[in-house]
Amino acid sequence: MKNKGYLPISLLLAVLLPLLLMPLAAIFVFAGRGGWDSLVSVLSSADAQFALRFSIIIASLTAIINAVLGTYAAYVLSKYRFRGREALSVIVNLPVAIPTVVVGTSLLLLWGPIGLLGQFLDPLGIQPMFAPAGVLLAHLFVTFPYMLGAVKPVLDELEVTYEEAAYTIGASRMQTFRHVILPALKGGLFSGTLLTFAHSLGEFGATVMVSGNLRLRTQTGPLYIFAQFEAGNLEAANAVAAVLAAFSFVLFFSMLRLTRRRGRAD
Amino acid sequence: MSIRLENLSKRFGHTLVVNHVTLEVADGELFILLGGSGSGKSTILRLIAGLLSPNAGRIVLDGRDVTALAPQARGVGFVFQNYSIFRHMTAWQNIEFGLRIRKTPSAERAARVQELLDLVGLTGLGQRYADQLSGGQQQRVALARALAYRPAVLLLDEPFGALDVKIRAQMRESLKQIQRHLKVTTLLVTHDQEEAFELADRIGVIEHGSLWEVGPPQEIYHRPRTEFVATFVGGGNVLVGRAQGGRIALGSIDLPMPADAPAHEEDSPVRILFRPESVVVQPEPLDARAGLFPLGRGQACERVFAGALQRLRLTMEGLRGVRPLSPLPTFGQATTQLEATLPGELDARSFAPGTPLWVGIRRYHVLDSTGMKMLICAQAAPDGDAAIEVGCQLATAASDPVMLLSTAPSAQALAPARERLETLRQRWLERLPRLEARARQGEWSTEILLHAQEGHYELVVLERSAGQVGLDATALQLLEMAEVPVLLVAQPHRSFVRVLVCTAAGEPGKADVRFGGRLAKRIGASVTLLHVQREGASSEEAHRAQRHLEQAKSSLQALGVQAEVLVQREPAVHRILDTAEQGKYDLIVIGAPAPRSGRPMREADLATPIVAGTLLPVLIVPMAE
Repeated sequence: MKNKGYLPISLLLAVLLPLLLMPLAAIFVFAGRGGWDSLVSVLSSADAQFALRFSIIIASLTAIINAVLGTYAAYVLSKYRFRGREALSVIVNLPVAIPTVVVGTSLLLLWGPIGLLGQFLDPLGIQPMFAPAGVLLAHLFVTFPYMLGAVKPVLDELEVTYEEAAYTIGASRMQTFRHVILPALKGGLFSGTLLTFAHSLGEFGATVMVSGNLRLRTQTGPLYIFAQFEAGNLEAANAVAAVLAAFSFVLFFSMLRLTRRRGRAD
Repeated sequence: MSIRLENLSKRFGHTLVVNHVTLEVADGELFILLGGSGSGKSTILRLIAGLLSPNAGRIVLDGRDVTALAPQARGVGFVFQNYSIFRHMTAWQNIEFGLRIRKTPSAERAARVQELLDLVGLTGLGQRYADQLSGGQQQRVALARALAYRPAVLLLDEPFGALDVKIRAQMRESLKQIQRHLKVTTLLVTHDQEEAFELADRIGVIEHGSLWEVGPPQEIYHRPRTEFVATFVGGGNVLVGRAQGGRIALGSIDLPMPADAPAHEEDSPVRILFRPESVVVQPEPLDARAGLFPLGRGQACERVFAGALQRLRLTMEGLRGVRPLSPLPTFGQATTQLEATLPGELDARSFAPGTPLWVGIRRYHVLDSTGMKMLICAQAAPDGDAAIEVGCQLATAASDPVMLLSTAPSAQALAPARERLETLRQRWLERLPRLEARARQGEWSTEILLHAQEGHYELVVLERSAGQVGLDATALQLLEMAEVPVLLVAQPHRSFVRVLVCTAAGEPGKADVRFGGRLAKRIGASVTLLHVQREGASSEEAHRAQRHLEQAKSSLQALGVQAEVLVQREPAVHRILDTAEQGKYDLIVIGAPAPRSGRPMREADLATPIVAGTLLPVLIVPMAE
């Protein structure tokens, strides 16, 4: 049934405009206000370049590591029956529920120089906190559930007989994983990886705690934006924000296209 | 031999799912394992494929022991009920998968895939994905995929279960052709009898993890050995008569014992099977033409028209008192009922309910003697499970079928009772594959009595507490109303080597000798016949006793039971108890009078004090009047 009448549509737009659409537009409007040249000069500053590069590197690493880890966790949780499986399934999903600042704090309490584990590493000269490794740890923690959430439902759906069929046909465990399970996971893997990447790119709360916000060392894009904004340097903040936003849009739409195409193939 | 299973067993936790299965499937044979859900049939298939590993036993494929091998190394083709076609591959790629794994050269691969597509009737559909194929087509792909690498053995797990009736029939036809063409040894698992009869070279019927019978379809249908198989496949009438002088007594009529019928002890129950289509029904009296066995008069009580056939349920006047095992009598029905099928074209009016009819059978088949069907009353007892111990011990020695029965006063108490029975059943299942267990809700002695009568048991094992004096009400009821021998057990007893049969002279004394003898034969024990002579007995009386004992001894010896005779003087109770103790007997058998006789017999007084005076198991046999 198709409803005529534009009132509901106008209402929706009226709500969404200040809530969603205007903030999105604002980023680009403000970024462009100083003109193209100032945008380029801000973005070519060493700090901004480092922050963007660091963000992308961390996001890529996070996505790759969690793609492997998350898939493995999903496989074990889905295919093996063991005591405590239910509890573990809940626990691995907890990171989405915990405020990211709390995550940062707990990482500090664990890995910091006087932390539970950190106090043993400190004498060895290993300091994960306030270093790139700490940022990576925080991002891995915070984004872990996304991969799991994308892959586990697919694995749950995939009946064990598919694997068994491959075994009886003669495929080894590795061959079965490579030729039977992995192709079935392709969609989930891809969207999970993108989601992880996008979240890592924008992560702020945990990062700000564990990184120490050291410029040219641990400062990610979002931290740079925040720092510049605090300093009243709106143009620089907006420029990097616009780049991050544009990057996220590209990721988002490519994911959308991909899932659409998959939907048609099925 | 292409598939050989030796004593294969599999447990899931404490549950025995496959129980010592031994089976040989010949080269090129299409063998079907037929069983209900949860019978263990699919587990056997998965054990053969290596998807599960057995707890005991061996699997030999093509002469090679594969028990310890991984599924990849067994070279079997497996077809699943849900097809399990790899969805991201085309039909072609699916079929090719096994060849690619084996690194077959690509030209050879292509030729083989094409050949298989043609074989399963999917020519031209190779480039389709699973979601572009119907269920039947997907199953054809699965079949081709399993055959691609020329496996030694093809295993199919309910392959047509998910297909609709019409496609199923086509698929059966295709499978049969392909199997005949390739001559690949095939083991198919199904719950569908029609499928089994239509496809199989041989059928194996499986239930509770045990293989009951193996044989060609006709054999399984017309000449099964066990009651389970007789009633599991197809509809059937199973009546219980008695072996008497080379004939089968069936109420007021008797039938000749067929020459090829399995051996039956005299007076033991004989179960005869005839299929509904072997029943002849007509409004006129049956002429005594050759090959027809009249069962007497009856009337239709129910008629169902089913197209090509019409089914009748008949109430048989002449068979009053004959116990049917199948069909199950309708509630409150006293007379025996039979099922018959007639061609649908016959005039229905002649068979309207209430019309008197003459009934006969064209053929019948005698099932194997069951052995002594034993009912063990497994009520939770504070002193332990002596009755269960002794009953199962005896049944193991005799390989007799056993039912463990427990009752619960309320619906809530039923679940724990069931659980307890299941634990007991699992403990004995390996030694007693024909062990069943049931919990009934209701009053203890009533339920036992009902069950003993309904189930046609030949022996009921009851527990009695050590301090109990005499027979309790349950035992008396069983003896009087069910007229079934009762074994009273006070404490566990391990081996049964010597049986003491206390016998009176003459006709009443024959029942306990017969039954005690049958039991002794089954468990491989020797018998001592003990007769206590009355004080001041006349010489004629003594002579009669002498003759009775001699006859008893020779009939025991005819059974193959080692027997000796002992005559003693009164007091009877003392003599019997002393003899039992000094002779290290394992079981005392004693007769009890039938209640209707009204005559006071000395054994009537004997059973009670003897039960009270010993801790040995005592078997009380009701005497015929």
